[in-house]
Amino acid sequence: MRLIDWQLAFEQHLLSETSVANSSFAATLLGGPTLDVDTGLAIYHNAYLSRLQEVLRHDFGAIWYWLGDDEFALLTQAYIRRYPSAHYSLRWLGERFAVFILEYLVAEQSAPLAEMARLEWAFTLAFDAPQGAPLTLNDMAQLAPEDWPTLQVILAPSVQQLLCRFNTVAIWRASKDESDFPGSQALNLAQLCLVWRHENVCHYRSLEPGEAFALAGMVTAGWSFSELCAQLAVTYEEGAPLQAVTWLKQWIQDGLLERRVP
Amino acid sequence: MSSSFPSLGYGLGLRNEYYEQILAQSPAVDWFEVISENYLVPGGKALYYLDAIAERYPLVMHGVSLSIGGPHALDTEYLEQIKQLAERIQPAWISDHLCWSRGNAHQLHDLLPLPYTEESLYQVAGRVRQVQDVLQRPLVLENVSSYVRSKADDFTEWEFLNALAHLSGCQLLLDVNNVYVSSRNHGFDAWTFIRNLPPESIRQLHLAGHMDYGHYVVDTHDHPVCDPVWALYQQTLEHFGPVSTLLERDDHFPPFEELLTELSKARELGASALARRSLCA
Ligand SMILES: [Fe+2]
Repeated sequence: MRLIDWQLAFEQHLLSETSVANSSFAATLLGGPTLDVDTGLAIYHNAYLSRLQEVLRHDFGAIWYWLGDDEFALLTQAYIRRYPSAHYSLRWLGERFAVFILEYLVAEQSAPLAEMARLEWAFTLAFDAPQGAPLTLNDMAQLAPEDWPTLQVILAPSVQQLLCRFNTVAIWRASKDESDFPGSQALNLAQLCLVWRHENVCHYRSLEPGEAFALAGMVTAGWSFSELCAQLAVTYEEGAPLQAVTWLKQWIQDGLLERRVP
Repeated sequence: MSSSFPSLGYGLGLRNEYYEQILAQSPAVDWFEVISENYLVPGGKALYYLDAIAERYPLVMHGVSLSIGGPHALDTEYLEQIKQLAERIQPAWISDHLCWSRGNAHQLHDLLPLPYTEESLYQVAGRVRQVQDVLQRPLVLENVSSYVRSKADDFTEWEFLNALAHLSGCQLLLDVNNVYVSSRNHGFDAWTFIRNLPPESIRQLHLAGHMDYGHYVVDTHDHPVCDPVWALYQQTLEHFGPVSTLLERDDHFPPFEELLTELSKARELGASALARRSLCA
């Protein structure tokens, strides 16, 4: 058997549903004095699946907590068979888990679970995203008064945005606290949740609609600070500049923003 | 007969569980081995600690996904990232495993054994030379544990390692525990394996624990080193002279102090083996 054919047979064995290899491949192998070929092949087969499942337990701890050991094992096994790893680093193994959940489960079960998968994946993305150059309060103190009205910002590279339609953040929190499962519920109003890294620690925060609107205006629509004030004046009237400064200060303290370079 | 490289002494695998303690206590570890893939990321905590620890300790890069024996083309993007990481932390050397970890279609994330045939030998030797051309340094390859072997073998594993070092100029990372594990699983003599390796190519040693199931042994890196492996380690140093030694632990992480105690044991057993060597010289 040529090397490449032997390796293809070995790969097929690892990827197959059962840990018993096909007999023509097993016939190319030798065991040892007390380790037979079938046991040896089962060691590789089980190690392949359990190594990948362990990574998913780590990256999707809240889904594991939600489903329990058995259901999580079934779901991840099906995922690994459907989307075998495509990247050399196990860090990317869970990239398509949210999409898979939507494809694999019935809609009423999949929508809240997929949202959780996206939230947990957002943490993995924030964890090792580029550092960038987040604005600091000190930078703002140095900003000349005449530069304030034209100030424009973008999100720092680690910031992930999720629109939550369910109480996913509450369930995630409960899993971290190892408290009782709070039950999955749809929210009355979808909520923007941010996940990001600041000074090497990951953070998350849900934003009220007004703050979410203001942030999106600046980082997505590209409003300058004076445009932000003008937009907020519709709701806050003469209190608009104060509200704008309060939010901007909060975002900067959180490490969410970088200066937009024209 | 001795290894031709200066020894870095006694090192530990760098794991995120221990970052804070290493920086706070500057423990008496001579060097650290880092899993290269953990740092092939754009930013974050791991790189922050890596840079800080690189300022204080010699580092060695140890990869797990080169797949030097794989049926696919070498991943040039991966190699480029390895090269960039090496520029960043200036490792004393770069190692990976004599195995394949990627199949034709997918990443398999395991250290899979190769048939020790002439076909494999020339295939792997050619790929080692390609890697060395990119990295501009010798590649160091580690022997892996295995649970099956191919009937078609033309060589023993140690003959294959000899021939590969000869043909490609690669150096060897001798994992003493892996030799022990494979010797039990396949029924060969571990010392025959070790004493037949080319001394001038031995760059580094690994020590680790395993799981003994009686009929077979699985390389798990989640236990302390066992007595037969310590004995083999002493024989190895007596035979090759001083070689950089690394204690691996990849799971069931004990308190850092326990690893330091085990590392002291390696130092003591190593020193007495080297003393015996100089008496007999
Ligand atoms: Fe090893």
